[in-house]
Amino acid sequence: MFVRLITDSFRRQARRKLLTTAALALGTAIATATLTVALDVGDRLAREFRSLGANLVVTPEADTLPLEIGGVDYRPVDSGVFLSESDLGKLKTIFWRNNIIGFAPFLDVPVTALVGSSRADSGRLRTTLIGTWYRHDVAVPGGGTFATGISATNPGWKLNGRWFSDNSAEAVAGANLARRAGIHTGDSVTVQTEGASSQLVVTGIISTGGQEDDAILAPLTVAQALAHKPGDYRRLLVSALTKPEDAFSQRNPKSMSPEEFDRWYCSPYISSISRQIQEQFPGVNVRAIRQVAEGEGQILSRVQSLMWLVTFAALLAAALAVAATAGTTVLERTGEVALMKALGARQRLVGAFFLGEQWFMAIVGGVLGYTAGLGLAHALGQRIFGIAPGARLILLPVVLALAAAVATIGSLLPLRKIMKLDPAPVLRGE
Amino acid sequence: MMAALVQVEDLSKIYGGVRALDKVSFEVYPGEWIAIMGPSGSGKTTLINILGGLDRPTSGRALVDGVNVGTLGERELTRYRAEKVGFVFQNFHLVPYLSALENVMLAQYFHSIADEKEAAQALERVGLGDRLDHLPGELSGGEQQRVALARALINHPNLLLADEPTGNLDEANEQMVLEILRELHGSGHTILLVTHSQEIGRMADRRIELAHGRLVHIVANVS
Amino acid sequence: MFWRILWRLLYASRGRLALAILAVASGAAVCAALLNVDLDATDKLTREFRALGANVVVSATQNGDAAGTMDANLIGQISDLHLPDVVAAAPYLYLSANAKAGENNSGVIVAGTLFDEVARMNSWWKVDGLWVASRDDRTQCMIGELAASRLGLTPGKSVTVTYAGRAVTLQVRGIVTTGSSEDSQIFVVLPVAQELSGLGDRITLIQIMARGSAAEIQGVIHRLSTALPAAQVRPLRQIAEAEGQLLARIRGLLAGTVGLILVLTALGVLAAMAGLAVERRRDVGLMKALGGPVRRIMRFFLAEATAIAFTGGIAGCLVGMALSEWIGERIFSVSISPRLIVIPATLALMIVVSLAGALPLRLLGRVRPAEILRGE
Repeated sequence: MFVRLITDSFRRQARRKLLTTAALALGTAIATATLTVALDVGDRLAREFRSLGANLVVTPEADTLPLEIGGVDYRPVDSGVFLSESDLGKLKTIFWRNNIIGFAPFLDVPVTALVGSSRADSGRLRTTLIGTWYRHDVAVPGGGTFATGISATNPGWKLNGRWFSDNSAEAVAGANLARRAGIHTGDSVTVQTEGASSQLVVTGIISTGGQEDDAILAPLTVAQALAHKPGDYRRLLVSALTKPEDAFSQRNPKSMSPEEFDRWYCSPYISSISRQIQEQFPGVNVRAIRQVAEGEGQILSRVQSLMWLVTFAALLAAALAVAATAGTTVLERTGEVALMKALGARQRLVGAFFLGEQWFMAIVGGVLGYTAGLGLAHALGQRIFGIAPGARLILLPVVLALAAAVATIGSLLPLRKIMKLDPAPVLRGE
Repeated sequence: MMAALVQVEDLSKIYGGVRALDKVSFEVYPGEWIAIMGPSGSGKTTLINILGGLDRPTSGRALVDGVNVGTLGERELTRYRAEKVGFVFQNFHLVPYLSALENVMLAQYFHSIADEKEAAQALERVGLGDRLDHLPGELSGGEQQRVALARALINHPNLLLADEPTGNLDEANEQMVLEILRELHGSGHTILLVTHSQEIGRMADRRIELAHGRLVHIVANVS
Repeated sequence: MFWRILWRLLYASRGRLALAILAVASGAAVCAALLNVDLDATDKLTREFRALGANVVVSATQNGDAAGTMDANLIGQISDLHLPDVVAAAPYLYLSANAKAGENNSGVIVAGTLFDEVARMNSWWKVDGLWVASRDDRTQCMIGELAASRLGLTPGKSVTVTYAGRAVTLQVRGIVTTGSSEDSQIFVVLPVAQELSGLGDRITLIQIMARGSAAEIQGVIHRLSTALPAAQVRPLRQIAEAEGQLLARIRGLLAGTVGLILVLTALGVLAAMAGLAVERRRDVGLMKALGGPVRRIMRFFLAEATAIAFTGGIAGCLVGMALSEWIGERIFSVSISPRLIVIPATLALMIVVSLAGALPLRLLGRVRPAEILRGE
């Protein structure tokens, strides 16, 4: 009988029901699309974020503290602890090896530089030679090579000219240094430390906005030769695809149960990747470069906040549409309600009946909206991020619950009216 | 002999297979009070609705003051309703959020121009001079019907139509309204009134009796 | 009489009217908010170097030798300029000193600075413990993570810093982690570093955090260069540069969803108007029975729809523009100013939406009086 009443009601008031269902469907579709984007945006943007620069720095734990002023490290090169570049291939064997986009080792050597030989008045400059890889092939244990260097970790660096080739006698000069010393592309610069000297051809001028602008960048082998430290480096920058940190990932791993630990380890949080690197390289200190991580975090939270706002706006609009239609329904169905009450239906039953109708439409509209929303998310994801987001089944119950909530809130006042309706005057014909 | 104000000739109305009116013919002269009577479903309301321009005949003619109501275009029908007839309903049909005065002025507004003074006078004449600003909800059934009467007459129509005007009133109020109708009749208004009450029927000059949409007979009341 | 009736009409359905106005207002608010953010913020978002830290540095002109120091009165000179775009200016004096804590000993860079400016600039620093509260606190210091671990220090412990024979002992208030050079430094208040250095009132550089687009920051650099001929003023490239480009892509997404929300709003307006129409059916039937011409009757509803569109539209516009300022401030950390063009644009949209939604009211024109009045 209940079913009959409901189907009857739907047939008679088809247009009103359609409007309510359409409003709920549209609101749900928007909510599904934006929530999908909000949930996925971290993964979508992860790769984009790598253009912000390396997000991890590895230094030898036992090393002395860097004594750096104005980009010049005053530490004597022959003391301290160094790391071996031959081990670097191991980075591509950690659990999250596929998330390691690139890495670049650094060896900084304080040098005096002499520009050319014909410019006697430019004199000697004290500066730093930063030895690193631009693009270098690393042998990976288990076979194969991996090409990496600052081309991968710092894609944002702007260069006038071209980069030095690995193992060559070339260099790139920082823009400030070049200006001070009158260095131009093609010039020859002689760099000296105690007991070693090297002549380098400047292939480009670089501007990074950081300490590199006051230094000379050269292949790692050049720095190693100048410092008498063959095969060594002192600092490693790593660029890794990470999952945004959340409350779970920020917990101390020691306090986690074995299942929780597994879950943390097997998610590419920056903290778990740091841990895995540390496992491969005993005696190192792995730190997140917080400025980059903060930047990522900020962007993510901004996009997510926007998505929440839009979801709320959509659900509000849907609620208003439901409220308006429900209000009209009260007007049109007073006779029906009065009759039900006159036949003995109690307030609660009448209310339940109408609320049931609203919920039915919420579910139908919700399912329709979810499907449409997935399509919408797919199209938008494709357009904006180049990748379509995966369908998140968990969203279906969430979105249905939201639809039901919207339907309930929208119908609250009209529902009260229906429940409180006095049947007598209606039946009398007033 | 005076020309008939209303001439109904073979008037028929069919609703989806049902003959609500079946070739009804009669005449009404100026100043007459006609009671249209019959059991429910006999077509009384249909007849008066057609004469009031609220419904259209399927066939036949209904001439009011020389105008064939059935052939009027939409706009002309609107003018007809505003100018030629005044209608009083069983359910009063006052606008619930307009005061008594405003309800009367509404009819003026649609006719030509609203005139507050004239409307006030009309209400005074039906004894509601002190209720001008009351909303229908604040008036008794009888008072509401009196407002409806004032409204119906404000534009000086040729014909006053009433569909069971006392049907929703108690005894006392019924008498009050009937008294006003008598006065109106006395001052020369032409009244067509639908009723199922024999008593009210006997107050009219003539009774037109319908059954199953057909005119059964016309009876002149002996005064 | 027209206005009298109109007013009674509106008042009688005030509940449903309010709902219709609310529907229009919510659509207008969403519209106005997005338009305003789009117009005003896009520039800022795509090109602004929003700082996570300093983006301009003032240092001594280098003569090819070790970085010299500058007179500390430069700090006063900068603040005298009262540049509105400069959010924070933190001076630093660096010394290559020695630190000792218990058994542990290490060379370390000591950075003397003004902590209140640093805190404003670098609120994103992760601090285990607390920031040093005031710029005059000569007893406490903050230490970078690496330095702390090398010296075995935790908040509350003491460390002695020596330079050129002079020494000072300080208590550790907090440990800083940035993943960058700060992790190896000890931060003290500027006067303490100056006394240690024995150089008098000198500083090594001033870090500045400036707000605005790339052009505005260039402007700040230019003004500083002109005002401080004895120094070198350079930009520090900021991480956040890339953010604007990413956010620009989100625009398309936002525009699409807002368009859909507008459709949803139209549905809501339609529903509200339909409710109004149902409420009115009897009155319209009556008015027709009284001889009211359709056009005259419809005028009321046209007026009603217009009133709804304007009231809802203007209210929504104002709410929307306030909302856009809030969005700018809370979400993007950008100040958004109201763009007046948003008002007519949104109103126009709302009028379109309302007229479309007013369709049910138009259908009232077809009401047949006899059918309505017959309902007895």
